[in-house]
Amino acid sequence: MPARDPAGAAVLERRYLRLLRCYPPTHREFHREEMLGVLLAAARPGQRTPGLGQAVNLAACGLAIRVRRIPGWLAADAGQDALAVVSLIAPAVVLILLALGRGAQAATAAARVPFWTQVLLVPPSLGGWVVVMIAWLAVVLLGLTGSRGAAAAIASISLTLAWLAVLTAGVQQSVSGGLVQFLGSAGDVPVFLTSLAACSLVFSPGPRRGLAIVGWRRACFMIAGLSAGFGFPWIVQLADPAAPVGDLAFRLLGVLAIAVAVAVTRVRSPVGRRVAGLVATGLLPSLAVTIPLVDYPGGWDLVPLLVILLVAVLVWPVAIVSWLGRVRRASRAG
Amino acid sequence: MYVYDMKKRSMQEPTFLILTALAAGPQHGYGIITDAERISGGVTRLQTGTLYMALDRLRSARLVEPDREEVAGGRLRRYYRLTDEGAALLAAETERRRASAAVAAQRLRARLAGGTA
Repeated sequence: MPARDPAGAAVLERRYLRLLRCYPPTHREFHREEMLGVLLAAARPGQRTPGLGQAVNLAACGLAIRVRRIPGWLAADAGQDALAVVSLIAPAVVLILLALGRGAQAATAAARVPFWTQVLLVPPSLGGWVVVMIAWLAVVLLGLTGSRGAAAAIASISLTLAWLAVLTAGVQQSVSGGLVQFLGSAGDVPVFLTSLAACSLVFSPGPRRGLAIVGWRRACFMIAGLSAGFGFPWIVQLADPAAPVGDLAFRLLGVLAIAVAVAVTRVRSPVGRRVAGLVATGLLPSLAVTIPLVDYPGGWDLVPLLVILLVAVLVWPVAIVSWLGRVRRASRAG
Repeated sequence: MYVYDMKKRSMQEPTFLILTALAAGPQHGYGIITDAERISGGVTRLQTGTLYMALDRLRSARLVEPDREEVAGGRLRRYYRLTDEGAALLAAETERRRASAAVAAQRLRARLAGGTA
């Protein structure tokens, strides 16, 4: 870059620096200065903006390096610590969401039937939600008292019921009463968060380690924030039972609420970044809900259903990679 | 591991050019780009992002390593050098390409001589 246009060079440098944010922090720390030197040396005289090809190449390579580092990112100690934090907050968020969902359901029906009548006179076949709330309360308490295995077992059973509920949605609707409907109502839980809670409980040091990392105050803040984000539609329904929560604009607001909740509760540390990354995966199912394309026979939209199932499945290999990293380190140390 | 992968599939052109550029001695980023362009006869000009993505991968695989740093025009310049492992891999790749080129040349000669149409 010729020295005769120092202002232009400064502008170009600023723009290149912005593009270099696509690279992982450790890569930037090591290569930023020399990359900037090469980019400016290769610039045309008087150039003030990066060329389109150059910009696309920098962004694509930065993202490719980020993707390539994901296994190592997860397998590091911070990956296991992040899962431990998730194993602390996710079960509590699931429990709160179940309560919010039930409350919203009661609020919308309250005009027809008094709330306590609904609770007391619930048909046994629809009482699965009572069992599942007790189960998730047990998951939270068992996790906090150090019984990670028992908490993981209950969470996994709940997840299995959720899978069955999703896969047999059509059957449930055609059956009135009986065990199938009971299991269906017991499986009526947020699938992604249930999956995240179960896999983090199975493949991490557990909620007590998570609590030691973030502390009570931060944990409560994260649980409250994420519950508000993921439970946004139900909170609105509780305030206004007639709110049009099924509308597209409202669904988009729900996505925004989750994004804001993840950003606000994010902790600026390697562990915090991983926790935010894991929880932010929940944005995908929420985004998918905004694009219903084809109706599934059970009343589900096919695209959201597939995305929810895919994301809920994919968090398991992520947790397993992280756990294998810890096992490998332990065997090397031992 | 990258070295293991390389045994199973051919080396990508940018990697070959970078290793070849460094075979002559340590070079900094911009030097590698200009040298790679010269080596390829002006056909390939490495983009900065591609170069540093490859260097990141080659450094992880211990095929190249930082040699020294210097400041030129107020900017950091880092020089990279080929490791012994990198030189061995480049030699193996060169041999593979030479063998492929020899077969291609032989078949073209036969074609020109009217052996195959």
